[in-house]
Amino acid sequence: MRAPIGIRISSRRKALGISQAELARRAGISPSYLNLIERNRRDVGGRLLRRLADELTMDIATLTGESEHRLIADLDEAFADPVLSELSAELAGARDLVAVNPAAAAAIARLHRAYLGAVASADDYANRLRSDPLFSQLLHRILSGITAMRSGAEILEDVPDLEESDRRHFLASITREARGLGEVARNLIGEFDRQAQDRRSLSPVRELDDLIFEKDNYFSDLEAVAATLRAEIETAGPVGEPALAAALARRFGVRVERTPEPWSDPEGFPGQYRFDAAARVMWFQTSTIAATRQFQLARLYAELAARDAIEAEIRSPPLTSDTARRLAFLALSSYLAGAVVFPYDRFLADAERLRYDVEALRQLYTASFEQVAHRLVTLRRPGASGVPFGFLRADPAGRLTKHFPLPGLLLPGSGHACPRWALYDAFRSPGALVRQVAGFSDGSRYLFVAKATARRPASYADRTIHISVMLACDALHADRTVYAAGLDLNNLEATTPVGPACRLCTRRDCADRQEESMAPGGGAAAIRVPMVPRDFDQEPAFGLDAAVADGETGGKGGHWQ
Amino acid sequence: MESLDFILRRAGWSIVAVTDGEAALEAVRRHEPRLVVLDVMLPRLSGFEVLKQIRADSLTSNLPVLILTAKGQQQDRRVAEELGADRFVTKPYANADVVEAVRSLLGEKLTG
Repeated sequence: MRAPIGIRISSRRKALGISQAELARRAGISPSYLNLIERNRRDVGGRLLRRLADELTMDIATLTGESEHRLIADLDEAFADPVLSELSAELAGARDLVAVNPAAAAAIARLHRAYLGAVASADDYANRLRSDPLFSQLLHRILSGITAMRSGAEILEDVPDLEESDRRHFLASITREARGLGEVARNLIGEFDRQAQDRRSLSPVRELDDLIFEKDNYFSDLEAVAATLRAEIETAGPVGEPALAAALARRFGVRVERTPEPWSDPEGFPGQYRFDAAARVMWFQTSTIAATRQFQLARLYAELAARDAIEAEIRSPPLTSDTARRLAFLALSSYLAGAVVFPYDRFLADAERLRYDVEALRQLYTASFEQVAHRLVTLRRPGASGVPFGFLRADPAGRLTKHFPLPGLLLPGSGHACPRWALYDAFRSPGALVRQVAGFSDGSRYLFVAKATARRPASYADRTIHISVMLACDALHADRTVYAAGLDLNNLEATTPVGPACRLCTRRDCADRQEESMAPGGGAAAIRVPMVPRDFDQEPAFGLDAAVADGETGGKGGHWQ
Repeated sequence: MESLDFILRRAGWSIVAVTDGEAALEAVRRHEPRLVVLDVMLPRLSGFEVLKQIRADSLTSNLPVLILTAKGQQQDRRVAEELGADRFVTKPYANADVVEAVRSLLGEKLTG
């Protein structure tokens, strides 16, 4: 999905007092082409982008608005909400709001998130509360609050000549209701059992997402700490399982054990490894692979040696709850382990030299596919960065279990992604690398590289579950990788037309659509319409008379409508 | 609810708004409205009680009543239907839905 770069170019050009013809001349293109670019009808990248940035004296990141991609994705999701479905036609150009008034865009995105959280809570608990008279009052309070928010928001949206005092009044009442709802939801949650509370909710996971996105998945302090830890470990030998075990023994008195017996925690969840802090034993099941042992030993060392450094990071603003902080601690101790096992400069050099061949890097570092992929997405040090990658992991049910965003690529925050993605194809040929050039309906294209891997079974009775891991990079960078070999990146026919996920996707022509779209423009209504028309049928949910795909609706590139 | 009040006034009707069931009955007696919009959940006297008493009074037994029910609470609808409500809108609603329901109950033509 493309940022509204056109409007930035034209705003900046006008601010500098340069005509379109003049800028076009300086950049070496025709004025009509520049006009198309400024109206977001043509992509601009590579050398032309650099020339334009130079002529406009802007740095490229500001021009492309990389940091705003997240906001654009959130805004798209907000505009795709069924609440705003009647406004979808007018919202087609609304993404420009990000460039024109970023604060308002951020406000809408935040309100939408709060609204989603409140609705999700209400829906979730409505089922359990239906028969419980004690809770029906709280339920009604939540619903009334949501109703007030929605009704107020619609007034702000729909009423063109709204008095300023009224506008302020309804804006204030929405804020007040949102706060009140947070409190009510907290009270309600307190009534349920502990497991329901521990279930991941919308907010902590997204807060962790925000932290990672804010830092562009690169934590310079932790990288520095990793270098120190590596030096300590290397006094016992080159970094690997034996040296890590020795370093753990020497500094923390930790012993490493491997036994074939299965183990479950007090609540019955089985594990392949665990640290017994009291007995100072790090245990692995015999069936764990070397890559797992190496990584988890590094992680244990990191948690023991650098706890303060990790805790310093999790005090960051986007994390507001204990759950979010706990999730962040886990994510960052893994990050630190990765930084120890794959030291930044050496790993970046190897990755470039091997053209991002994940299998080759695996051999070099005794690592798993997922570990290497994970580290690749963190190569974001300003001035010394690798190819920008996004990362996704899915379970066999199709559910996304881990993701690291790539600016510009709309990744669903949770749930399922587009069924055409290589991420899912990989399940059909476990262990084999699957690549794909995926094209979105706005003309953006990505190289997807995915592999489904299995945990090694511990016994005959042990089920083998596969998980699939996918790396994604912009097609513009694909030729820096070994995975572009043999792929004709310019051949549009070889590109698989995809979307982010069915519910968010505007494509009308996809035979693989699995659910109706809530996006502006809608998706195929045919999923729900009976074959034989009936007299007393209401109109279908998405008016078929609106199903005209012209170049303007729903996206800018025009190729994939 | 203030936004509901605002929306209905803007649609051209004059509105009396109250926030509890007892005040609702009092307002019906005093102002003789053409229509009543009732939330099922009201302090002091529930929406159902109010509806029941409106129907029991011969002067208001045919007064159009629009009920705002909670999403997911099917029994609200059933009870309200039995008690004689004329129409329902479930919360959270789109403002336009409430306006349309009121217009339709009052037999007014929908504008463009």
